[in-house]
Amino acid sequence: SASRGRLEGGATAQQYEKMAALSSEFGDLVQIKKQLISVISLCKERGLVHSVKWASELAFALKPLPMSELPPPAPLTEEDVEDLDALGLAKSYFDLKEYDRAAYFLRGCRSKKAYFLYMYSRYLSGEKKKDDETVDSLGPLEKGQVRNEALRELRVELSKKHRTGELDGFTLYLYGVVLRKLDLLKEAVDVFVEATHALPLHWGAWLELCNLITNIEMLKSLSLPDCWIRDFFLAHMYTELQMIKEALQKYQSLIEAGFSKSTYIISQIAVAYHNIRDIDQALSLFNELREQDPYRIENMDTFSNLLYVRSMKPELSYLAHNLVEIDKYRVETCCVIGNYYSLRSQHEKAALYFQRALKLNPRCLGAWTLMGHEYMEMKNTSAAIQAYRHAIEVNKRDYRAWYGLGQTYEILKMHFYCLYYYRRAHQLRPNDSRMLVALGECYEKLSQLSEAKKCYWRAYSVGDVERMALLKLAKLHEQLNESDEAAHCYIIYIQDIFSCGELLEHVEVSTALRYLGQYYFKNKRYDEASLCAQRCCDYNDAREEGKALLRQISQVRDQGEASSADVSLPCVFGSLSNNNTPVRRVSPLDLSSVTP
Amino acid sequence: MASVHESLYFNPMMTNGVVHANVFGIKDWVTPYKISVLVLLDEMTISKRMTLLERRRLNKLILPLQQGPDLTLRHFLKTVEECSAETAFAVKLRLHMMVVGELKDMESFFDTLPNPFSDAESEASKTSVVGLFMRHMLLAYNKLSFSQVYKLYTALQRYYDDCLGSQPGPPTAPPVDADMELSEMELTSTEDGAEGKMDKEEPDAGPMQYSELDEAPRRCPLSQKQAEYFLARQAYLLKNDENKALKPAALQEELNNMLKFNPDFAEAHYLSYLNSMRVQDVFISTHSLLHYFDRLILTGGDGKSNGDEGYGRSLRYAALNLAALHCRFGHYQQAELALQEAIRIAQESNDHVCLQHCLSWLYTLEQMKGSDSSVLTEDSVKMAAHFGLPYLASLGIQSLVQQGATGGKAANMLMDALKDTDILHWKHSLSELIDISLAQTTSIWRMYGKSTMALQCAQVLLNMNSLEQVDFGVQQNNTEAFAVVLCHLAELHAEQGLFGASSEILKHLKERFPPHTQHAKLWMLCDLKIQFERAMNDGKYHLAEPHVAAIAALDQMEGLYRKGLVMKAQNQTTDAYRVLQRLQLLCEKTKCTEMIIRVMLTTAELHWESSGFSTALPLLLQALVLARQHHLQALASETILHLAFSQLMLGVPEQALNILHEAMEPILAHGALLDKGRALLLVAKCQMASSFLISPPRLEQAVQTLDEAAAYFSRMGCKDRLRDTHYLQARLHHALGHTAQRNECALLFRMVDQELPPARANLANRL
Repeated sequence: SASRGRLEGGATAQQYEKMAALSSEFGDLVQIKKQLISVISLCKERGLVHSVKWASELAFALKPLPMSELPPPAPLTEEDVEDLDALGLAKSYFDLKEYDRAAYFLRGCRSKKAYFLYMYSRYLSGEKKKDDETVDSLGPLEKGQVRNEALRELRVELSKKHRTGELDGFTLYLYGVVLRKLDLLKEAVDVFVEATHALPLHWGAWLELCNLITNIEMLKSLSLPDCWIRDFFLAHMYTELQMIKEALQKYQSLIEAGFSKSTYIISQIAVAYHNIRDIDQALSLFNELREQDPYRIENMDTFSNLLYVRSMKPELSYLAHNLVEIDKYRVETCCVIGNYYSLRSQHEKAALYFQRALKLNPRCLGAWTLMGHEYMEMKNTSAAIQAYRHAIEVNKRDYRAWYGLGQTYEILKMHFYCLYYYRRAHQLRPNDSRMLVALGECYEKLSQLSEAKKCYWRAYSVGDVERMALLKLAKLHEQLNESDEAAHCYIIYIQDIFSCGELLEHVEVSTALRYLGQYYFKNKRYDEASLCAQRCCDYNDAREEGKALLRQISQVRDQGEASSADVSLPCVFGSLSNNNTPVRRVSPLDLSSVTP
Repeated sequence: MASVHESLYFNPMMTNGVVHANVFGIKDWVTPYKISVLVLLDEMTISKRMTLLERRRLNKLILPLQQGPDLTLRHFLKTVEECSAETAFAVKLRLHMMVVGELKDMESFFDTLPNPFSDAESEASKTSVVGLFMRHMLLAYNKLSFSQVYKLYTALQRYYDDCLGSQPGPPTAPPVDADMELSEMELTSTEDGAEGKMDKEEPDAGPMQYSELDEAPRRCPLSQKQAEYFLARQAYLLKNDENKALKPAALQEELNNMLKFNPDFAEAHYLSYLNSMRVQDVFISTHSLLHYFDRLILTGGDGKSNGDEGYGRSLRYAALNLAALHCRFGHYQQAELALQEAIRIAQESNDHVCLQHCLSWLYTLEQMKGSDSSVLTEDSVKMAAHFGLPYLASLGIQSLVQQGATGGKAANMLMDALKDTDILHWKHSLSELIDISLAQTTSIWRMYGKSTMALQCAQVLLNMNSLEQVDFGVQQNNTEAFAVVLCHLAELHAEQGLFGASSEILKHLKERFPPHTQHAKLWMLCDLKIQFERAMNDGKYHLAEPHVAAIAALDQMEGLYRKGLVMKAQNQTTDAYRVLQRLQLLCEKTKCTEMIIRVMLTTAELHWESSGFSTALPLLLQALVLARQHHLQALASETILHLAFSQLMLGVPEQALNILHEAMEPILAHGALLDKGRALLLVAKCQMASSFLISPPRLEQAVQTLDEAAAYFSRMGCKDRLRDTHYLQARLHHALGHTAQRNECALLFRMVDQELPPARANLANRL
């Protein structure tokens, strides 16, 4: 579909430099493995399942340790021994999601482990109740007012202990979570940083921190512990902040340091490639990932997006079937199926599946945007607007939703109105040509030609994916009778098309050639003109004109008019005889006249 | 002059300039407050020993309680207590029993509820307002699931504890004696007094309510009704009395809070748009506006306004509002683009009403850009009349009148047009436009130099009772019209030398329109002008100078003019001339006739300074023609004074006296005190100059004229001119041989002269 193709399509090979030097911290993989094993058992005891999963995945990617190297279990303190039975009982209740019960039996315990589990159960109990209560609220406005009642008490107790410095890494993490839930973001960041210092190996704290950091300046201002895990965090952070190049560098260095088998890293790199629209790389990585981890559901929605963009129906269908067999009530599965239906142009069903995904997790950002796209396909603009607005509410930085809103209004022919949305999208992705082209088109429609020219030129400068910006710019110049500039643009356009080797279905090449032929003819550069005219004959729609031009040229030549030797005119067709040889690019200085 | 377009934007809560608070529709949910109302109703039906007066008061209370927003329990009980202390106590007791008891107490309350109402002889029949309310509540209650019921019960407990939890134990009965006394007293008091008290405590009005709403959200989130009420109220206040609305920052915080809890509450976005307009925040206001319309489009889709139609409508208005926004921020190009878009969409869907709105904005935009838009405006008026949109039609007419007044249209036509629109306004009760119309008339009279008429019009507006129901405790409308009229009033008083009164008015203006509000610029300019004039008349030019910069900040042309005046007064003739030339060019571009004439007069005065009295004449004649063309009587008389002075200086005092007669009448009738004094002084001078043979009767006449002039000058406190007058008086008396009077005048002169710095050499060349 056009609308989505615009956002997810295209392929510019993004090269990144490999980091040659290995970080010294990774020298001792054995040490890292030991640390991972011990932190896994610590997290397991405390019911922090996601951190356990992450650490285990990473540990799995490293070589197994010999018997003698295995770290001994953490020594028990006297308090631990005292609380052992209560802790065992409570943990079993906790695992069965009977949080209040777990908390009840832990209330008198003094050990740190028990204290964490006690507080954590109370927190989870509050969250669970909150979720339950959302279902039966007393009125529509009250829906958003349901809150975790336990948070306030937890905060009071934890802040008291925090002041006296009694909190360990895990409780600090919990304190941070409580603060974040209470929207005390600044305090939360400080506490999470403290937590990472206290226990650097706990991935959960890093992940929470990741959600709270909004820009690179903020990231730089934090003082983080100097540990190998920090590199994982930074790589993750760069991906979040759309600094893909830096992220890829980080991940590459991690792979070289010995984590090459980690499925986590592979998936992260694949997502990063997806973000910069390097589809081939991303696809191959996802395929590798599925080979290594066939029952994985995480990130598969991203994979399906890629398959969608490439219109790989059989692969998408296979993926969808596979995932349904694994677990059909997962957000990712629903998204994959939605994409599948969308590719088959069954947009109602697609929307239905995205809705299901949202029911499973209302904060699932991708599904909102995708649903918006589906509604757009179904020409249900108001529903599309709603979906996009929801997406923006979940994440203000979702450029796709902003762009989608812009497109919706553009379809409604409100070109001025959609400018705002495109501008927002452009703000979020300043180097994405698609927004710039969209902006340019709107300006063109509003007859703000100078603005449009700026947009198109900028779009070309940041690397145009669809190669339409130059063509549009050239047409604009043509319209304004700025023939030199127009010719410049056409020349660069044709060079671009030919130099990329694969001759895509670009009907517009003939337009460019036709114009250039006429342009050279007018300027009495008959050699170039006839070259262009000859090339025109390769295209059906321009054949007649090409022939006519050739006739004209020979006529003029017969009259003995000499070809002008004006060197100032651009001459680039020196080596155009062979399609596949890359053409020398005009030096950027030559283009100065094109810039509006 | 009043700009009439302040309120010409599409406000979803407003039709024809009237804000309707209850556009959100009624959604009934059982809340703790509703339970309290139910308890009250139940109590009223049960209790038989209520006095008639109490019952009547309570009956009057039912409707506001039922339809108003949720109140806190304390406020609710207080309201009831004012009507009947016993009932309030009973209600409190029953609530207390329910709260300290079990869930079953609430359950049984709802079980027994229908009984008193199902009675045939019950006062609340099934179809009455009360009956309907009861049935709504019962229905809503029966729909609740068990956990919801439990939640309601805990909410009720919290509701009770929040207000009365501090009191331990069951509430104590009010002392019976006091109660008896109270009721006796009230029985004796007149019915009117009781009613007045009631009105004050009505939930719809009163500052009490306001302050509670203000604090409530910090303690607990707003309920739907409260949120709606809050929005409607703030929107109303923003429009009519910005002063009383929450401060921008506080309001934004409330809105953010509300939106955090319910992002679907789209109206909050609109209010956020209005609010950020107040602080001129283009970023947030654009964001909120677009967000609002994105939301509105959704609700329009499934509304009853036949599907696609309602949705398309909001699209059009979205574009129109965006245009309005850009217009207000002075982004004319953007505004034009948005407006074109709105017009295009409206045309495509044949929405004439929307097109009409667009047209109004189009001519407003043209006007703001400074180009002539009268043709557009006329079209707009015709079309609006055709489609039956009185609001837009008369706005257009007012705009036309404004253009006509500055463009020199005949006064009678303008007044006729205004009269016609007034009829329209009264017919359709467009109170806002009535205000504007009166303010405009005041301005026009003032421009024509008819200060008496202007004064009258201003008084009419200020003394008029607003047509709109006095709502939300807003006593007067603090709209632009009022600000304009009050400014005129202040200036008129200052002209008459009543500086005390004028500063009182300005003080009042400052209170009503604090400096950060949108109409504050009006009185600031007015205040500065008055101060400037005073300083100039006192000859304290160094005091006047700092005002110039301040005036220029508010009004460029006015600032430039005053700069020229100060320069002229400080003898920087060439600079002054340059400034005036620049100003004249500017004025000609903007077609500001009043200013052109004033510039001409000042330029003529500059010519006098170099004794070029004959060169000043053509300029003055030109000014006179302009002034007469535009019916600017005050300026015409002023020009005649200048002409006469030139003639006097050229040595033809008889001629001067002749033309002065023409100007004397309007000046004495309408002119400022200073003008009167100056005119009389000039007459006296001419009389003296024309009596080349010392003819005592003529000189006697001149003495009288001078006496009068001196009286005016002393009232204005214009010592500079007073000195001249006394000097002339002394000379005249000397010539006539009145030694005693001469000595008296000479003494007066001496006293004034000692106070003042030495007279400037060219003082003679002054009017």
